[in-house]
Formats: sequence, structure tokens, C-alpha cells
Amino acid sequence: MRSRAALPSITAPPTSHAPLPFAPTAETLEAAIAYIGQAGAASGSAVTAAERRGAFAAYGSLPVPGGFPGRSWRYNYAKLPFEDLRWSSGRQSVATIPFGALSASADPDADAPALATENAGGLVHFGATLLEPPGPTAADKRVIVTSLAAARRDHAALLAPVIDTIVQPGDDRFAALATAFQNCGAFVYVPDGVVVDAPIQLLFVNGEADAAAVFPHIVLVLGAGARATVLERHAGGGDAFICGVVEAHVGPGAQLDVVTVQRADVEARVFMRRGARCERDATMRWHLAELGGALARSVVTTTLADTGARGEAAALFFTGATQHVELTVHTEHAVGQTTSNTVVRSAATDHGQGRFFGNIAIRKQSHGSDASLRDDVLLLSKAAHIDSIPALEIAANDVKAFHGATVGSVDEEQLFYARSRGIGRADALRMIALGFFEPVISRFPGERLRDEIRTALDDKIDAATEID
Amino acid sequence: MSLEISGLRVAVEEKEILRGIDLVVEPGKVHALMGPNGSGKSTLAFSMSGHPNYHVLAGSVKLDGEELIGLPPDKRAKAGLFLSFQYPAAIPGVSVANFIRTARMAVNPDDLPPAKFRKMIFEQLDVLDMDPAFLSRYVNDGFSGGEKKRLEMLQLAMLCPKYAVLDETDSGLDVDALQSVGRSVNALRATEAGAKTAFLIITHYPRILAYIPADVVHIMMDGRIVKTGGPELANQIEREGYDKIRDEVASSVA
Ligand SMILES: Nc1ncnc2c1ncn2[C@@H]1O[C@H](COP(=O)(O)OP(=O)(O)O)[C@@H](O)[C@H]1O
Ligand SMILES: [Mg+2]
Repeated sequence: MRSRAALPSITAPPTSHAPLPFAPTAETLEAAIAYIGQAGAASGSAVTAAERRGAFAAYGSLPVPGGFPGRSWRYNYAKLPFEDLRWSSGRQSVATIPFGALSASADPDADAPALATENAGGLVHFGATLLEPPGPTAADKRVIVTSLAAARRDHAALLAPVIDTIVQPGDDRFAALATAFQNCGAFVYVPDGVVVDAPIQLLFVNGEADAAAVFPHIVLVLGAGARATVLERHAGGGDAFICGVVEAHVGPGAQLDVVTVQRADVEARVFMRRGARCERDATMRWHLAELGGALARSVVTTTLADTGARGEAAALFFTGATQHVELTVHTEHAVGQTTSNTVVRSAATDHGQGRFFGNIAIRKQSHGSDASLRDDVLLLSKAAHIDSIPALEIAANDVKAFHGATVGSVDEEQLFYARSRGIGRADALRMIALGFFEPVISRFPGERLRDEIRTALDDKIDAATEID
Repeated sequence: MSLEISGLRVAVEEKEILRGIDLVVEPGKVHALMGPNGSGKSTLAFSMSGHPNYHVLAGSVKLDGEELIGLPPDKRAKAGLFLSFQYPAAIPGVSVANFIRTARMAVNPDDLPPAKFRKMIFEQLDVLDMDPAFLSRYVNDGFSGGEKKRLEMLQLAMLCPKYAVLDETDSGLDVDALQSVGRSVNALRATEAGAKTAFLIITHYPRILAYIPADVVHIMMDGRIVKTGGPELANQIEREGYDKIRDEVASSVA
């Protein structure tokens, strides 16, 4: 068994204003608005008080995302507990961008953290506190990597056309909550024709002792023909409550890869809604690894808004213990001659649960579109459960749409074959289960990142008490 | 020292398939096990390896004195048994290199440092006429019939078992592939350790025996070994088919 490292004891940076107890109430909202008023430019706020109140009203009136017909889902979204959470918003100066803050979250014997060295800049948030280095946050001067609050102030002309247009606060209850209590965020802008090779990293770390309420809003804008990879990571200890939004606008002919590695603490809850809009001949590729948290709800929507646009999603999740993960991948073929490809692999062990909603909508005029959706589920224990619910809504003729899905446990013949070679049952199961994820892992960019995900999955298999 | 099967009776889904098998294979020897389709040859191979669907009703399988019945499949492999599958399973996402390395470490821990392992596997690839690119492919995933059988032989060579059961390794192979298989087995037998490896070659046709000559030939019918003889028995089968033997057996019972 691999040794399982504890996180380094990152101590929370001091905030100039005492954090508020958080609960999704009108009183907390007013307290947050007052907090921002006092902190002023020192806060990470990018939302006006009026917008917050509007979003909070929407939160109150939007329906609670549903339970599940015929299934017991341990979490009732209407009754999430919010004890002991703290809300704050601020900045803290640091000597350098501490990308290495995550290093100990991986295997201590492994090399340096997968992404500590290769990067084209980025931001690190500790809880909702932005860690601010003295130097530039983007390696390429033409590229903007900054907090959303700073972008609202300094780059309003670039931000305004995109923010709240791809994911809107009214899209669902959690998007509304994210806007109402927004306390941190990032803005990445890659101008026309600029190609950024290394990933731009947006890290969200939580300290061991903290139960931070973190509401990030990330806006990514790629100009015509631009290319970039953005890595969004969640890691660290603490029973954090993370509820955020990612919006990506991919300009004509541009290519954006967004890699999400969610390795939040086992007690954390993570609700993220991500959306992309692809212009003519643009390509959006999502790579999602939902590995951590007690409860993770992840919604990814891609709108293929002009001809030649392409959307790809490769996602995996693995629920162990009593973890729940809910993943939705929605692709909207708004016009014809657009292509999408979604591949999802999920597994569950012990009492882990999950559900996957795979939606493809091909609108009426979207002739010549090509959509493919493939999802496979591996159940490793009797109590584990994953539901897979595809929805293909095809209103155009002359389109190609493929959907395939499987649900099963480890194949006995595979297991026997491996065991007949001397490989013990536990190792054979581990090997087969890791192999199962490979079609998705192989789509993640960079061997170090792929290895990190393999190791994280391996650790989860180690931690499982029941695998069969 | 031997692989000793005695009084083995095996049922699949409540149906008795093997109805009392006695067979002794000594180190370094090659035994051929022939018989018509459905006579129980693969059942014998799976039962020896410990496939969970095959229920042993009676009898024993002893490998150098150690009882295999009741042991899990991996323990049997560790004891020195190897089965080349008639229809090997694919394991998507697991590379050939990783699979064989893991297997080798399991049956023979710590004996081969990575560099030596690499050298050995490349040599074997060469013997089998396999492209090194094979190593990064997923185990049997999308493999042709011939590629699957070559991979079985690659594993045989890399694991160097005491007793190897080859279940229809020859079926569906073209002449080139068959030659590769023959070369690989003979290369193994030419090594010091491999010279002690005993083979039970299950086959339908005697053509593989032209490459790997058998010392003893057994004929199986309806879950029993009905006849045992020298290499000439294989040729007799080729000339006359199984019907003649079936008649012989029937009349001797009558
Ligand atoms: N897994 C199984 N399930 C059901 N029947 C089986 C199974 N394996 C073998 N049998 C039956 O056992 C008999 C012997 O089969 P097998 O051992 O495969 O023969 P051979 O390898 O000699 O062709 C056949 O009647 C076959 O149908
Ligand atoms: Mg057979």
C-alpha cells in the first residue's frame, strides 16, 4: 500500500476583516455586502450589491435540483448543512506564486507536483483569499491572468461582453448562490492569435483546519485563433464548501483546453457550473477528474454557436466511502456543421454513489451536426451505485448522433485471466479498474498530469474497504 | 516431481464434464492431449488453473506434491502452472508491458531488475516476430487471433513456468504464426530453466506437434482419457479421425 501523505499544514493567511459565519440567508448576504463595503478594493468582490441581491432572490425562487426517481440519494440539496462555514474575501501578499502548495497532496515519494513547475502563470487562492505575488501572473505579457475583481476594474471592456452570458446566475440554484456570495475569482484573456503552450493554473487550496465558503467565478476569454490550456484545481484539507462558476468564450478558430482536477478533502462539498461558448471553427476541450469531496456536483455545458465549432468532454469520477458525485455534460448544437464528442468513465466502490446526465441537443437548423456520447460505469462493490441518464434531443435531420453506455462490475474472465498469471485478486482488480479509466485519462494533456490522476485513482482503490 | 492429476471429476453448471481424469506429466516432457470438440479438453485446462465456474467434484491435481485444488488461480500460477488460453481475455487500458511485468513480479518477485526484464522481453519479441510497439498496446485489446496467441507465448516465455498447458494455441494460426509459436517454445526449452518445463499441449490437429514433438499422446473423449500412446497416435488420428478410436473404445467397453 502506498503511503498516504497528509497535506502540509498551510496556515491560513490573515485577513484584514474577520470572516463571517456563512449560511445562505438574507442576513448573511447583507453582512457580506457590508464586509465588502468595508474592505473595498482589498476584497475580491466582482459583483455589485444589487447583483448579489438579485442573484440571491433567484436562489430562493429557483427549484432545488431534483432527487432521483426510485433511488435513494443521500444528499437532499434543499437541506445541505452549513454549520461552521466561514465566508471572507481578501488578498494576501506572498513572495512567489505558491503552486507547490499542492505538492504534498500527492504521493510524497513522487516527483515534484505535476504542475508545480510547468506553467504559464496563474493564480492561487487559499480559501477565498488570493495570494498575490509581487511579479507578473502571466508568463506572456500579452496574456492577462488576474483576479476577477481586478478585471472588473481594469479590463471591463474585455470582461463585460462575456461575464454572466455563458453561465447566468439564473441557470440554476447553485449558480445563483455563487453569484450572490462571490468572493474570489479569476480572469484569463488570451488575445487573437496568441498561443500559450504551458498550462495557466488556477489553484484553489484549503487549509486543514478551515471550513471555508468559497465562491469562485472564473472567466476565460480566447481571441480569434488563440490557444491555451487552463488548469483548474481544487485541493487541500478542511470541510470547505465550494460553489462556483466557470465561463469560457472561445473565439473563432481558437482552441481552449480546460482541465479540472478536483481533489478536495473528503469532507468538502464542491458545486461547480461550467460553460463554454464556441464561435466559428473554435474547439473547446473539457478534461474533468472529479476525485475528491464528500459531495460534488459538476455541470458542464458547451454551446457550439457557429459552424465548424467542436466541443469535447472527457470526464471521470470515482466515488468511494460515502462519496456522491453528480456530473452533467450538456452539449448544445446551436447551428449546423458542429461536432461534439463526450467520453465519461465512472466507478464507485464501498457506498459511493454517482449519477451522470449526458445531454445532447441538436437544434432544428443544425443540419450536418455530428454528436457522440459514450459513458461507461464500473461498480466495484455491492452497495456502490451509479446511474447514467442520457438525453438526446435531436430536432434536425441529416445529423449523426451516437450514444453508447455500459454499466457493469469487473469482468470475471478478465479477472481470471490476470489471476492465472499469478497476479493476486486485489492487484488484478486494481489493474483492471485503472485500465477502465485509461480511455479518459489518455485524453488529459501531459504525462505528469495523467500520472497524477492514475496515482490519485490508485490511492482511492487502496482506501476502499470493499472491492469486488 | 510431476504434475499429477488423479480421479479428477469436474462439473460445469451442474453438468459433469470431466468424468475421472488420470494424467501424470513429468518435468521436461511434452504431452499432447487430443480429442474431438466438446470432449472436455478446455474444461481440464480451466479446472487445473482454478476457474471459478468449474466445480471439482472429486480428485486432485498435485504440482510437485502441492495440491492445487482449492487454491486460487494466482497461487496456482505462483506454484508454477501456466495456461495459454484458447480465447484469451482482453484487458483494455492495461499495457502488455505493465501486465507482463506485474505477472513476472508476482510469480518470481525481485528476480529481474527492470533493465534485465527489458532485455529479456525484447529478445522474446524477436523470437516471436513481434513488433516492440506491442508492449504499449492494451492486453489482447483489438488483437488478431494470431497476435493473441503470440502474446500467450510471450507470457509463457517471460514467466517460465514449471508446467505449461497450451490450449489450442495452434488453432486459427497461419503457418508463419505457427512457426513463431514453435520457435518460441523451443527457445524456451533450450534454456536451462525452460528445459525442465513440461508441456501439456491441447490440440485438435497434430500439426503443432511437427514443431513441438510430443513424448506422449492422450486421446480424450466425453470427459475421459480413452487412449494413451506414443507420437504415432497423433498421426493415426490425422489419418483416421476420431471415429475409429471412438468405435474401438466403444467395443472395448462393450
Ligand atoms: N463455461 C461453460 N458453460 C457451460 N458449458 C460448458 C462450459 N465450458 C464447457 N462446457 C461444456 O463442457 C463440454 C466440454 O467443453 P470443452 O471443455 O470446452 O471441450 P473442448 O475444449 O474439448 O472442445 C462441452 O459440452 C461444453 O458445452
Ligand atoms: Mg477447447
